[in-house]
Formats: sequence, structure tokens, C-alpha cells
Amino acid sequence: MKKISLLAVAMLMCAGTASAGAWTDSVDERADALTSQLKGNNSYHAHLARELADVAMEEKSQHDIDVARAFMNKAEEHAAQAGGSK
Amino acid sequence: MKRILLLAACASITACSGHIASTQVSELDEVRAMIQKAKAAGAEKCAPALQAKAVAGLYHAAHELDEGSANPVSENSDLISGALSNAKRAYAKAKKGCGKPAAPEVITLEGVFFETNSAELTASSTATLDRAVKALQKRSTIKVEVAAHTDSRGKASYNLDLSNRRAASVMAYLVAHGVSADRLTSKGYGESQARADNATVAGRAKNRRVELRIK
Repeated sequence: MKKISLLAVAMLMCAGTASAGAWTDSVDERADALTSQLKGNNSYHAHLARELADVAMEEKSQHDIDVARAFMNKAEEHAAQAGGSK
Repeated sequence: MKRILLLAACASITACSGHIASTQVSELDEVRAMIQKAKAAGAEKCAPALQAKAVAGLYHAAHELDEGSANPVSENSDLISGALSNAKRAYAKAKKGCGKPAAPEVITLEGVFFETNSAELTASSTATLDRAVKALQKRSTIKVEVAAHTDSRGKASYNLDLSNRRAASVMAYLVAHGVSADRLTSKGYGESQARADNATVAGRAKNRRVELRIK
């Protein structure tokens, strides 16, 4: 029982990290959504969001999926600051 | 012992779950400094694309450096030099262009004349004005101020009034020939914006003019 409890606690700790990104969507889908969301927006944050999404896609192509997600998270932060399409 | 191993395993999963490495490493000092310099010069506003490329390049380079020996040295140095180059270009562009409003596009309507001391257009002016109508219809989204100027002969107040009437006369022609009035305004500047010497005949002729100022 103790082992099961300890395992559950450990899994919850890991899950906390996992929930930081939108793990249910693929990096590709998130990049597409971001591009669509920022259509016509040429602000600094919009440009940065797109650049970071490109880095995410590059990392994904190198099978570094966790890093790709981290870059997508950052891209989405800047997309939110950019304020959507113009 | 098992508990420690389990927690260590979880910690390692957490560590591998993906993060963007710190940019605060000595290899990136020059890039960081240049990005800051560009930002201070207004690059986020005046050169947003270049500044964004520089910042994204900084993050990317930080990540690759963090991976250490897993990457070829040349790949990392390419990323660093690319980010630095973009930051330098963003700085140069910001330094050149920030703080100065873009000069408005001004088109002088060569060939538009009025009867002396009058706002009545001469017959020969219509060819130029008809071309202006076509140009404005092609660029259907722009808004334009019709600006008229006089030379300095006579009273300034008279010249100002005359230029106002002449600007209004040109605007009326444009509207009558199909340009939406919503896109146009008219304003006379009198003799206040001379672009040549009013002491000569040729200079005065240059100063008497009508312009379209794109807003």
C-alpha cells in the first residue's frame, strides 16, 4: 500500500510538469493555430511568436518533442501578448 | 532506498520534460547586449521582425549550447552569429527610423492652373486632374488631402484664402468625377510653404502649386 501511495505521489509530481503545456494537441496543430490566430499581425510579439513556433517545429523534426513543446509554450505566451489577428 | 530511487526517477522525468535554457551564459553576452541596445533604440516598434528573429535566435542558441557536446560547434556558432547579425540590423534600423514619423507621400499635380486671383480651374487643368481621378480610383483605400499653395505676392491673408478656395475647387472636381468625398479633405497653405525663391518668376511659378498629400 505504501508503495502504491508513493508511486501515486510521484506520478502526480510528474503530471504537474506535464500539465504546463497543452499536451493534448500536437506541436503542428498548435503551430497552425498560432499562425492562424496571428494572421496580419506584424507586431513584435506576433513576429516573435511565429519565430518561436518555427524553432519548435525544427526541434520537433529532430525528435526533441519536449523541447518543441517548451518553445511552443513560449510562442503561445507571445501570441497572447500580440493580441490576435489584425 | 526504493523511495529515493522512485523520487529520483520522477525528478529525472521532470528534468527531461522540456524547458528553454537560460540565456545568461557567457557565449551569449554579446547577443544579449546587442538585443538590449536595439530594444532601447525602439527596435520592437521600428524593426519588429528583425528584433523578433534576434530574440528567437538567442533562445534557440541558448538551448543548443545547453545541449553541449550533442551539437556540432559550428551549428551553435552559426545560431549565435545569426542572432547577433539580426540584433545589429534591428539596432541600425531602429536608430535610423525610430522617432521620426514617416514622410507623407506628396504628389504635385503638375499642370493644374487657375485663372489669376481666382479659384476657377483653367481648361488645360482637366487632363492632369482626370489622371489624378484614375490614380485615386486605383488606390481606393487611401485618404488624401488636397493642398494648395500660392506665391508670396499680395497679402498673406489673401493668399491663404485664395489657396483654401483653390484646394476646395480641386477637391470639388475630383468628387464630381467619381472620387468619394469621404476620402478627401482640402486645405490652403497660402504662401507659407514656399519651395523656391519668390524673388524670381520661375521660383514663384514653382510655389504656386496643388498637391495631393496621402494620409
